[in-house]
Parts: sequence; C-alpha cells; structure tokens
Amino acid sequence: MASLRLMLVCGMLAVATAAHAQSKTPGGMPPPPGMSLAESTAMRFPQPVRVGDLVGRAVLRPVESQDVLGRVRRVVRDQNGRIMVVVEFGGFLGFGGRPIAVPVDAMVLLGQDMEIVAFTPEQLRQFPTFSPTGTTDVPADTIIKVGLAKPSH
Amino acid sequence: MKSPFRPASPPDTAILDDHKPLVRSLERRGFVRGGLSLGALAMLTGCDVTRPEAVEAALLAISRFNDGVQALLFDSNKLAPTYPASMILRPPKFNAYYDVTNVQPVDGAGWRLEVSGLVANKRAWTLSDLQALPQRSIVIKHICVEGWSYIGGWTGVPLRAFLERVGADLRAKYVAFKTADDYPSSIDMASALHPQTLLALQYGGETLADPFGFPMRLRTAVKLGYKNPKWVTAIEVTNDYPGGYWESLGFPWFAGI
Repeated sequence: MASLRLMLVCGMLAVATAAHAQSKTPGGMPPPPGMSLAESTAMRFPQPVRVGDLVGRAVLRPVESQDVLGRVRRVVRDQNGRIMVVVEFGGFLGFGGRPIAVPVDAMVLLGQDMEIVAFTPEQLRQFPTFSPTGTTDVPADTIIKVGLAKPSH
Repeated sequence: MKSPFRPASPPDTAILDDHKPLVRSLERRGFVRGGLSLGALAMLTGCDVTRPEAVEAALLAISRFNDGVQALLFDSNKLAPTYPASMILRPPKFNAYYDVTNVQPVDGAGWRLEVSGLVANKRAWTLSDLQALPQRSIVIKHICVEGWSYIGGWTGVPLRAFLERVGADLRAKYVAFKTADDYPSSIDMASALHPQTLLALQYGGETLADPFGFPMRLRTAVKLGYKNPKWVTAIEVTNDYPGGYWESLGFPWFAGI
C-alpha cells in the first residue's frame, strides 16, 4: 500500500512538473525600474492592432491565476496626445466597476485578452475615475501598436 | 416497467451486503489507481514501484503507448475544422518557453533552410526559394496544451509539396525540425504529409512578424501548439526518434488533436 501511495505522489509530481514546464520564464513582467513605459513596450515587439478589436476585451492581471481586472470600454487620446485605454476597473461580475484610463504602453496583448503589466491592482485603485473632458475617441478603424507577452501560467 | 430480462427468481439481496467492502473498494478512483499499478506498471515494465525512476519510466511507457494509439487512429484524409478569414485574430497570440522580450529576430536575407537525412536533394533553401513554391492558405484553430486557443490564418508551402520537391523518402518515420531559438521538434510522417501542415511564411495575409517565427515556422492543424516550431532553420527526414524540447521534459510526443 505504501508503494502504491508513493507511486501516486510521483505521478502527481510528474504532472505538476510538466504543467510548470510550459512557463520556464514568467510572462508579462513589469518594466524594470527606471525604464519608461514606451521603452518597455519597444522591448515587447509591439504589433499592429485595430482599435475596434480592443473594445470589450478582458483585461487580466499578469499572474498565474490571470484575475480579470476589468474590460476595455474605449480607447482615447488624452490632452497630451497619449493613447489611453479606458478600462472598466474593479466591480464584481461586471457590475460596480468604474472607468480608469491606463496608458496603452502599460498594457500588452495576450491573444484575445489584454494585460496591465506596469501597474499593480493596488496602484490601479488609486487611479482617478476617467472623465472624457478634453479627450478624443480614437476611431475604431485606427491601427495602433501594442506590445506582447506570453501567458503568465 | 419491469425489464424483460429480469430473471424469474432474482438473487437474494443479502449477497450485496456480504460484498459491501469489495463494492466500496471498486469506486472509480480506486479502480483507476489499481489498474495503473497492477496492470500498466507491472505489465509494461515489471518495475519496482518503490523506485521513483522506475515509476517515471513506467509513466513514460504509458505515454509512448498513447502516442502509438494516437498514430493508429490518425486519419490522413480527415481535415481539421476551418474558419472564415473574418475570425482571424490579429495579431496572433504569442507563446514560447521564454517571454517575448527574449525573442531574437532572424535576418530573412541571410536565413537558410538546411535539408538533411533521407532526402535526394540536400541543397539549402532561401526565403525567396520558398516564396516561389505554390502557396496554400488555411484558417485553423491553434490549440495550446495549456488550455487556450485562437483562430489564425496561415499561408505557406504545404510540407508534403516541399518533401516531394526535395525527394524525401516519404516512408520514413519522422520529420524533425531545428530552430533559431533552440527548440527542436519532430512530427510523424503521416502528419507531415497532411494537407493542413504548412511551412508557414505569412499570417493574416502579411509576412510573419518576428515574434511569430519569421521567416518560416511550422503550422499544422493536426497537432497541439507546442508541435509548431517557430524560426525553423533545418528539416531532417529520419527513422531515428528525434524527440523535442517539451518531449524531453515529459510532454507527449504525438500530441495529436
């Protein structure tokens, strides 16, 4: 019976090692200290994406559990001309969130989803609620470039 | 309704009570456990289950057995589902055994595809050589062993056409790949000859981008994602099991879908 149990444990270990092996290095690491968001995006092989294809995407936290932080509501240009992704942030089951504007260079594409790599949820909670005053919507057919990351699991 | 197969004189229900411990021990997980230890382990290897390496060897033997069964079930004429071009995810999803910041782009002009093993013509190929061959486009689902998937549109040279062109021995067992990112991979000949297996040069009608394998990657609809090496630099036709990056870490080799 003891040998049977040992065998089971070993089997589970083998499975655990295998599952872990797909992520030898983690994906979606935050920018190194001192690096600007634009510089960190340049390291992530930014790829063209249609703005209209971003709206509605889930925004994930780059951790193994891939917690959903919110959804992309719209993409705007702020007073300084920076492209910002307006994320319906927080809430529960899609209700009770509030919109915050996250610089697109703080985010990456992860297949059909996006991730916020440059800010922790604690930092995002301090973001002011988005106000459209002074911003302009980026038209849906505009192509912008967004960095990539591998899955964080 | 009474079953027509019900015996005229049913057995005494007390029999069940007599064998209660036995029935309980046959619950599903216990059954699988028992099956694995007694049947698979003992019969496949005759090993001593107190030694972890023996257990690992036995589990790998089971994995190889599964590979064999999958190869037997593989139907070269059965096509994987395809999708309309409007469903192509642009850009595709990136994945590798390292994060995107470690991608080393390959210079397309200096790139050569080496061909070796059981082939008549071992001349190296340039990118324009490959572009000059007849191309095929497919919109297929990329399915990762991690559990995610996306629909992608790929254009390139059918691997079958390439293997015929270089005079490969199509009865050989394996087609093996080497890549610029040191990610060796290999597939069985039947999958290599499948019409939905491409040496892909384009994604969504555009030249492959650097993180997705420029200048050339394998893209097959009949295997899991990790069987699709990017930045391919060499193809070998062989009868000696070539293995692969994840396979050497315990992942199944056949990995069919």
